[in-house]
Amino acid sequence: MRDVMLVVCACVGVVAFAGLTSAADDLAQAVKERRALMDDVVRPAAKLGGDMIKGKIPFDADKAAEAMLEISDVPETYVTLFPAGSEVHAVPDSEASPKIWEDFEGFKALAQKLEETSTEAAAAAEQGAGPFKAAFGEMTQICKKCHKAYRVKKKE
Amino acid sequence: MRRAFLVILALAAAGAMAFYLLTVPATVPASALPEHAPDLANGKSMFTAGGCAECHAAPAGACDDLDIKDEAVLVGGRCLKTDFGTFYVPNISPDKDTGIGNWTTLDFVNAMKRGIAPGGVHLYPAFPYTSYQRMTYEDLIDLKAYLDTLPAVTNLAPAHALRFPYNIRRGLGLFQRLYVDGESFTPDPKASDAVNRGAYLVLGPGHCTECHSPRNAFGGIIASEAFAGAKSPDGDGTVPNITPSADGIGDWSAEDIAYLLETGNTPDFDVIGETMVPVQENMAKLDPKDREAIAAFLKSLPPRPNAVPKAKDKTADKAEP
Repeated sequence: MRDVMLVVCACVGVVAFAGLTSAADDLAQAVKERRALMDDVVRPAAKLGGDMIKGKIPFDADKAAEAMLEISDVPETYVTLFPAGSEVHAVPDSEASPKIWEDFEGFKALAQKLEETSTEAAAAAEQGAGPFKAAFGEMTQICKKCHKAYRVKKKE
Repeated sequence: MRRAFLVILALAAAGAMAFYLLTVPATVPASALPEHAPDLANGKSMFTAGGCAECHAAPAGACDDLDIKDEAVLVGGRCLKTDFGTFYVPNISPDKDTGIGNWTTLDFVNAMKRGIAPGGVHLYPAFPYTSYQRMTYEDLIDLKAYLDTLPAVTNLAPAHALRFPYNIRRGLGLFQRLYVDGESFTPDPKASDAVNRGAYLVLGPGHCTECHSPRNAFGGIIASEAFAGAKSPDGDGTVPNITPSADGIGDWSAEDIAYLLETGNTPDFDVIGETMVPVQENMAKLDPKDREAIAAFLKSLPPRPNAVPKAKDKTADKAEP
């Protein structure tokens, strides 16, 4: 009987531990996915637009519009990648401020703004370099606003 | 025995005398001020480039909140937590009792160029007169005239809460003897106008040196490692190297630097954070030519390796450019 209890206890322990690690894995996975959207989609696309504005590469309306539309696809998914407990200091690599959860509506509103301004920047690209520059500037203001409010930059 | 006591007493008196003499406040005479009709527009530019409001305007929230209430209302109250203790930023609105409403232009110039307040009071270099001393007299006269136009508001900021021996103001005379000479910036005749203008903004009003350069045990900037990055003044993390080296921003073009100052975006589109945000927001208000000048000057600096190691290897994490 005692042996059976021990086995049961051990099993429960293992299952509980597995449950814990998989929850932690889920959080780490969410952090990884949201970072990938920023690092592999948004930033390269913004860099392309920025390089055109700085005159590092020639302005190309189609490429600029395409890049802006790539950005506009991100926010809808992005806001789903913030499970509770995935904030800075709770999960390695997270820079998510606890304010995201305190004011999730505000966070979502800025994500929505990013979708709108990037879509507008794509449309503006078709009208030429000048309108694109202005619309791109509007979009990056949203980037800045959101990072300022909801990101805790890790110390280097 | 009595003789030994007398010797010790004499040495102590000599030491006190030497300390007194070495720390006598050095000031600029009234004759140093040129005849100059104040230009308020330029005064406002200097106010912006100098980031006066970043520290002297009331914080929006807690005393260390980076956001400010109103950049025109310089009532002080911000706290700066450092290794020396906590500084509380004073009221510099034109209020006569709690601000600097009674200061003459010469008083103001002495604070900016010598770190000395009226009455021979030594000021702490948390107020970056080590950089402001490089400003021209004309720009300081303009800045004082601009500050005089701002609202006078009564507010007595708390006294600094510093550790011994830093709480002895007089001791600052030693620091000032080493690092303060009140010499205005002199343009380099071999450099372009843009580089000279950028150098003036960076070394003088912009006081970029103060955070981006390492310091020695005396709290002075290590000139041979200027702009090569430093420990963060609040003790946590590091401030980046902004020299054109591999550790610094060697792969940034002048356009990249000017664009960062205008928008807050790095070349590969990370967004700057922390204490650089209010600095950048002020730089964004300057004439575009001034941002280009700053970029030209930074590109002209000698490339230097990082003065302090980073907490983590930046290549290990691509989110940190």
